[in-house]
Amino acid sequence: MTAELEQLRTTHPPAPPAQPRAGVLRRLRKDWWIYLFLLPTVLGYGAYTVYPLLASWWFALLDWPGFADQGTFVGLENFERLLADDLFWNSFRNSLVFLVCAVPLRVGLALFLAILLNRKKTPFKGFLRTLYFLPVVTTGAIIGVSFTLLLDAGGPISLALVQSGLLDSPVNFVADTGTSLFAGAAVWVWKWLGITMIYWLAALQTIPEEVHEAAMLDGAGPGREFLHVTLPLLVPFLVIITLIDTVGALNVFDLMYTLTAGGPAFSSEVIEIFIFRTAFGASVPQLGYASAAAVLFGLITMGLAVAQAVGVGWARRSIGGMK
Amino acid sequence: MRTNIPLERTPAGMPSLDRRRFLGVSGAGLMTAVLASCTGGGQSSEESGGSSGAEGTIRWWDQFRPLTEMLEQDLFTPYTEAHPGITIERRQLAAADLGQALQVARRSNQLPDVHTLVGLDSAPAALVSEDWFQPISEFADFDSSPVADQIFDGLHRFDGEIYSVPLFSARQHQTIPWYNTELLTQAGVDPEDEPTTWDDLRAVARQVTDNTEASGIFLPAQNPNYLTAIVTQLAMAAGAPGAIDWSTGEYVYDSQPFIDAVEFLLSLQRDGLVHPASAAMIPRDALARWAAGEGAIFPWGPWFIGDLITESPEVVERGLGCWSIPRPGAERHSVRSGPAGGVFWVSTDSGQPAVAADLLLQMTGEDFQAALASAMDQPPALLETVETADVHPAYRDCVSRFAEDVRIAPAPEIGHPEAWRVVAEMRAVQPDLGIIVQSALSGEDIDVAAQLRTFREAASAERDRALATVQQEGIEVGLDAWVFSNWEPESDYMIEDYEGR
Repeated sequence: MTAELEQLRTTHPPAPPAQPRAGVLRRLRKDWWIYLFLLPTVLGYGAYTVYPLLASWWFALLDWPGFADQGTFVGLENFERLLADDLFWNSFRNSLVFLVCAVPLRVGLALFLAILLNRKKTPFKGFLRTLYFLPVVTTGAIIGVSFTLLLDAGGPISLALVQSGLLDSPVNFVADTGTSLFAGAAVWVWKWLGITMIYWLAALQTIPEEVHEAAMLDGAGPGREFLHVTLPLLVPFLVIITLIDTVGALNVFDLMYTLTAGGPAFSSEVIEIFIFRTAFGASVPQLGYASAAAVLFGLITMGLAVAQAVGVGWARRSIGGMK
Repeated sequence: MRTNIPLERTPAGMPSLDRRRFLGVSGAGLMTAVLASCTGGGQSSEESGGSSGAEGTIRWWDQFRPLTEMLEQDLFTPYTEAHPGITIERRQLAAADLGQALQVARRSNQLPDVHTLVGLDSAPAALVSEDWFQPISEFADFDSSPVADQIFDGLHRFDGEIYSVPLFSARQHQTIPWYNTELLTQAGVDPEDEPTTWDDLRAVARQVTDNTEASGIFLPAQNPNYLTAIVTQLAMAAGAPGAIDWSTGEYVYDSQPFIDAVEFLLSLQRDGLVHPASAAMIPRDALARWAAGEGAIFPWGPWFIGDLITESPEVVERGLGCWSIPRPGAERHSVRSGPAGGVFWVSTDSGQPAVAADLLLQMTGEDFQAALASAMDQPPALLETVETADVHPAYRDCVSRFAEDVRIAPAPEIGHPEAWRVVAEMRAVQPDLGIIVQSALSGEDIDVAAQLRTFREAASAERDRALATVQQEGIEVGLDAWVFSNWEPESDYMIEDYEGR
């Protein structure tokens, strides 16, 4: 027994006593320059990401007119007001409608274009890629102003639709309560289509050519090959690309503000414009209330994302169980 | 190659320096240099200009694009030539951006020395109480200035000290029908034959639409504030006292003149007389399209010609003119406008209050006021200077019409020393007048009268809430601050009238 213990002791030497504090300090002293190089990133991230995030939570608890140096603590009063504010829910609904309409359209259309441009037989591929990518590098505000002219009742799009018989009379797409939000979504899809197409092209090029050839040898046509070979291999990319585009769809301030300014009559006011209008546009700016709107929107969006993840997981498990 | 020599080979006695250490030291040095160079972002003019009151830089922010050349030629250049130690850095911002820029600048201690208040002008007294500004009366004799009789407690003077001065006349409105002479002539309309009623104006617009390629009238509806102003002023021309009936203190947004004014605008649209893209335009877009000859009539403010001269002077030469604000029938009603507020304010952080006050005092003088008139922006506080100033005849005509059409309304902030607290406490009520009109013009099927009634009730409730909040803080102010029982709708409400109400 003693011998066994002795053997254990010699084969498994006890771990050295833990000295985390001294270790960290020693490491700091020894490799101080590593932390020095990290410092700008840490400071930048802290100042421009962490601090605004935490500050907005605090501001949300204040009654803070923009011209005052500081606000008065009012607890959850801003959130109570928000829950009863029809215009907050209107902008929330508009943001979700924008998301639901624009993201699938952008992802799907970009995939379609990427498949076309990935084919060997497609002519002028380089030119077409550049063409589709051009709006991406154009400023959102410029696009907003330009499309205001293109989409008004006297603009070429409305006139072309009237002349082709698709419309009875000219429509002011950006100034009609029924179309302004969708006009904004369409312009957003047009602007960002190129970058999503590039993502898809990169994804398509990860699929080995042999896989396509094998499917063709097995007698699969282009449709079946896409459905049963290409698409399943693209699913991981689909998740990432959809996530990126979803985040993008929640950052449409510049485009929507220049295109419609949230109007007419708040019909295209997305949550960012609501926050901006409350914080800066009102005659008496309300910074606390605007912060509460941002926080509440973030929380609800997070809740929806979690619910969606749970739902997708449940659906996958159900499908797996059925198999 | 020298770079291949190991760094460890150092002379005896020198510390060894490996590659990592070298990079570390270099990084530290670089950061020190960067930090040392980052000290110039937020200093006030006092720090950058030295401590002497006669030297330094005055930073100046405003939104007056038409005044750019005039300010430089008639104020800044002569002033800096007379005071060689002073430099003036003016920045012109879009009106929509200025309020936001000021809020951000305030929080980062980078407010300019002198600035306007557009976007934050609902209650200057609230900003004074929050210590945004410093008084200027101790640096210049404003009480002897030509505009002394237009300086009021609660608007420019607080606790006995002057913080700002009026530079523009209160006698103005922004529903002046400006017309394109060439287009009217093409349409067979004689501009001298003035359309005085709403139906007359409609007939002129129809004649233009029928006989030319252009539209009859512009009604830029993307900006609800523009619509609010236009409808309120048309309603006053139709007999409304304004947004508030000063004899009772009640809001009257749902009174018949307001409903009629909205219906008039809707009827112009229904008749196809409004430029088809108007709904997606802000006033500045409409101005550009008016200049391009796409429409004949555009109701806007007195700064119309000043703006045009800045952008496209040839359009002014082409021919333009203005009429008086039209009214529904033969009976004439005035448009009411509150006393003119202060325009430029001196930041509390400014190290040059004496210079700023001196500049503002010069702006109240007859020479500058005449130069201001010649820029053809808002009419100057000394309206009589327009008569002799070098201005376009249409601008002189516009200002002379104001003398007939506009009366000065009372202001609660002047009549009651605590009324500003209520104004500052009031939150925007939505949908407001502009949004309701915007909805109707965009084709939404709404009951305008019912919507206006809801808005009037909500506005009254919000004022009651704000009043209650202020009263809970122990401030003595009531609804009577909005009541001016001696107010005569067709007379100017003068400073002596506040005593007798």
